[in-house]
Amino acid sequence: MQRSAIRISSSMMFCLALAFPCYLRAEGDAAKLYKANCAVCHAADGSGNTSSGKALKAKDLRSDEVQKKSDAELAEITTKGQGKMPAFGQKLKPEQIQALVSYIRQLGKK
Amino acid sequence: MKFRISAVSLSYVVLVLLFPNKSAAVPSYSRQTGLSCASCHYAPPELNAFGRKFKLEGYTFATKPEVSEDKKDHNSSLHLLESFPLSVLFDTSFTSTKSPQPATQNGNFEFPQAASLFLAGSWGSHVGSFVQVTYDSQADHFTWDNTDIRYANNSGHLFGKSLTYGATLNNNPTVEDLWNSTPAWGFPFGSSNSAPSPSAAAIVNGSLAQDVAGFGGYTMWNDHLYLAGTLYRSEHIGGSQPNPGTGFGFNVRGIAPYWRLAWQSSTANNNFEIGTYGMHVKSSPNAVTGLMDGYTDWAFDFQYDRTIPRWKNDVLSFRGTYIRENSSLVASFAEGAAAVTSHHLNTVQGNIEYHFGTRFSGTVGYFDVTGTADPLLFAQAPVSGSANGSPQSNGYLLNFSWWPQQNIDLAVQYTAYARFNGAGTNYDGAGRNAAANNSTYLLVRFVF
Repeated sequence: MQRSAIRISSSMMFCLALAFPCYLRAEGDAAKLYKANCAVCHAADGSGNTSSGKALKAKDLRSDEVQKKSDAELAEITTKGQGKMPAFGQKLKPEQIQALVSYIRQLGKK
Repeated sequence: MKFRISAVSLSYVVLVLLFPNKSAAVPSYSRQTGLSCASCHYAPPELNAFGRKFKLEGYTFATKPEVSEDKKDHNSSLHLLESFPLSVLFDTSFTSTKSPQPATQNGNFEFPQAASLFLAGSWGSHVGSFVQVTYDSQADHFTWDNTDIRYANNSGHLFGKSLTYGATLNNNPTVEDLWNSTPAWGFPFGSSNSAPSPSAAAIVNGSLAQDVAGFGGYTMWNDHLYLAGTLYRSEHIGGSQPNPGTGFGFNVRGIAPYWRLAWQSSTANNNFEIGTYGMHVKSSPNAVTGLMDGYTDWAFDFQYDRTIPRWKNDVLSFRGTYIRENSSLVASFAEGAAAVTSHHLNTVQGNIEYHFGTRFSGTVGYFDVTGTADPLLFAQAPVSGSANGSPQSNGYLLNFSWWPQQNIDLAVQYTAYARFNGAGTNYDGAGRNAAANNSTYLLVRFVF
């Protein structure tokens, strides 16, 4: 009886674990790229309001200071890095960096 | 005779495990992220806010080239670092105690004291590791050292706030922790393995390090609330499988739960954490059946790091922990290894460190252990024993480190005891005073 209960609860936990990703909302590629590479410091909303962002004084990507930069400037900063921000040019393809720039523009409009 | 062997074995285990050299600043993370050591550490292995985030998110953040393929249709994705995440640590040291240990030479040079290989970095988009194997010069072999393999996902939300969650496979309670106020990554970050050290240690304070295997989960909500738990079983490195229990002081019966709850708050120049952690263990010494000893540890910790802009962003750190252990040593009592069943142990550790940039750091630490006196558990023996059966030890530590480069540490450390294993004078019944164990330790550490 006890073994059956353990098996049933294990199966339920397994099913829940498999089903969990279904609850995650579908995300665009740019959003995924942003979460994987930028959110660690700049926060999901671009505010930089994370413990690591505060420590590294990460820019608020929604701010005028950032949004006034041209797409080319933002792409160059992302590619080559600036200050404490590392360069992503070796990891990300130019089209991925362009997608990130577009995503940063969207953050500025929210 | 049986309990005397047991006490000597315990002392050896405590000597080796209580103050292992701690090395979590791993250059392969730097190669993976393109960031300097100082991006994650005030001074290795002390994590700053970014280092905690990197660990929380499974050691996976990377800016360097990957072999990658995105998930498509029913095919899996692939994210492999092009550079293999391998690193090396080399420690060499010199230890001198105020008085030599009987029949031994004082002034002990270890070349190396330890040498480690690390597999430390991202294994995929959500999985990463800190895996260490260490050559120990006294044992003259490599052995498995601290290990933390974790899965992490930072895309969760709860009550409209960010939620990072993950799972960890590890072999040392608190090795998965994010702060340097808990035992696995606590001060001192390097120490002698030849100077005498106190016999008594709480079970969550290193007694099970690399002697258990655990699987657990953790979550950080809103960058503030951290909750973690791990379930452990015995996993004796070098022991036969299945585990017969013989020759090992701790054999976990059932599962041993470890828990952790912490609150952190951060501003640009302030990082504060306060938390609690603990562990419950049922164990049979040298056996896997029969009577059991029970241990329950309740602990509290805090850490405050203050960055001082007017002093070129120097950092002042305060860290402390208190551990209360209640134990019921029924099995040890029946074996004649304990005189009473009911014990307690109180441990207080605190330290203050000033970081002069990333080049120098100076630390003052204090430690105090008190608990139930037991002439069998803490038996009389030269140097490592106690004449009065008391586990009380206290004293202070001074450490000064110079980092000519971020991956080279030249340290000098002084440890002084007011009491050692129960007394200040003639603590072992063989005429040795606590101060005789005061030690000077010089360490040269390279990681690359």
